[in-house]
Amino acid sequence: MTFNADPVPVFCVLLAVACIFAGCTGTAPPRETDTIPADDFRGWNLTVNGTTRASYTFDEIRAFPTKAGNCYAVSTVGIKYGPYTCKGVLLTDLLEQSGGIAEGDQVWVSAPDGYLWVFDYDQTQGEGFITFNESLREIPSPPLQVLLMYEQDGKPLSYDDGGPVRLVIISEEEGIVTEGSAWVKWVDTIEVKRK
Amino acid sequence: MTCPCRAGMLIAFLLLALLCSTAGCSTGEQHQKTVLKVVPAGSLLQPFAEVEQEFEATHPQVDVQIEGHGSIQAIRQVTDLHRNVDVVAVADASLIPDLMFRTDQATGANFTDSYTPFARNAMVIAYTNRSRYADEISQDNWYGILTRRGVRTGFSNPMLDAAGYRTVMVALLASDYYRNATIFPALIGRRFTPPLVINATNGVQTVGLPETMRPSDPDLVIRDGSIYVISLLEAGGIDYAFEYRSVAEGHNLLWIDLPQEIDLSSPAYAAEYGRARVTLGFQRFSAIGKDRHGQPIVYAITIPNTAPNPDLAREFADLVIEKAKTGGKGWPAPLA
Repeated sequence: MTFNADPVPVFCVLLAVACIFAGCTGTAPPRETDTIPADDFRGWNLTVNGTTRASYTFDEIRAFPTKAGNCYAVSTVGIKYGPYTCKGVLLTDLLEQSGGIAEGDQVWVSAPDGYLWVFDYDQTQGEGFITFNESLREIPSPPLQVLLMYEQDGKPLSYDDGGPVRLVIISEEEGIVTEGSAWVKWVDTIEVKRK
Repeated sequence: MTCPCRAGMLIAFLLLALLCSTAGCSTGEQHQKTVLKVVPAGSLLQPFAEVEQEFEATHPQVDVQIEGHGSIQAIRQVTDLHRNVDVVAVADASLIPDLMFRTDQATGANFTDSYTPFARNAMVIAYTNRSRYADEISQDNWYGILTRRGVRTGFSNPMLDAAGYRTVMVALLASDYYRNATIFPALIGRRFTPPLVINATNGVQTVGLPETMRPSDPDLVIRDGSIYVISLLEAGGIDYAFEYRSVAEGHNLLWIDLPQEIDLSSPAYAAEYGRARVTLGFQRFSAIGKDRHGQPIVYAITIPNTAPNPDLAREFADLVIEKAKTGGKGWPAPLA
């Protein structure tokens, strides 16, 4: 039996197959990050050391009142990260449980990778940060708050994005960019240094 | 004659092919390319963009991906964050032996065993023709201009950027060089509350910085990175900025060269530079302490022992080193 294939559909099918095998499916390349499952944070604890010392599990952090906002960071060389919708617990709410914070105090936030950043009192209240628009032009700062984020864009914060908890600066407004040096990833210790 | 259903199928498949070529095929091409991850200091971004273009032209199967960071943070991508990086280039050569000649617990080998110094730089006072007193400023009177009432000056955060702590060193050295002890306090020290204190011992001047670099004087502006300081300068938000000469040149700014005795450019003055020291407000990274001492600004490049593409990395580094010998606009100065 002779099979007389109609050349047009055969050509089209071959073309489609070639496209798929050549990588034309549009699948994004695998990211170098994304290595640790977002929910594998069972051994993690956050220590908050103020007038009193407290230690929280991930579930206990999530039991605090939640706060959500917009967050958007930029690195020292202008690489933007975001915009994201960020959800977590306010730094001030956590500090309140350990004796609060007063004018002149500082808050030292650190992570197991050896990174440390220091916030003065004004900054813990959302003041004194430099803010930019999306074109990285400096703009007057709208009201800001400091958040321990555990959910980003509606999903649990992955390890590679700084999970289980990352310190971020949030705004009610969209498109507000803040300096990324304060966005401490993998936060596990918060210390209040009294004046 | 062509049947209508066959014509329809043909059109549908042609559309599919077009869709593939515009939406997906570029990704497919990326899949086939070898990614060469290069992490330079921020002040190298402009010249490295030039090298990237040249390298990719001669290596069409390589996608050079450049990711700028502060010098210490660039090294941390390898040592602390364990990322796959092929080339690291920093604005302070001493950081490589300090931070990378250490054992990587994951491999049992050092993070790197060698590095190549390839360029120098100098601190300058950058400005524009709109800066206040732009027609008056010179190498002899710059510190007087910068401390005039209403003149706004900026530099990058010493906690985050080597150009930031080098600015503090320049101000310390200027007090000595011009034999005028008021220069450092007037430029920087008194613009904080409480004022920054200089501790002078055996000819060495050390200044301790506060934990948060927020001046109380609005005429002194500190930003996380040089690009934000330059952005302010270009927009007229500040009048003068302490910058690397190559960065000022790369952004088409005007600048005042400072005397070699204080601009951190010359190995001949290394001993003098070493008498200016800065203690940062806190230890941002556990891997490196808070103390920085003045030394000539030397750029260096290295290939981590964990580089995924060491041969390509070597070729890229060699091209950087070769091009640095002649320099060019936006390039730090050649070593020789």
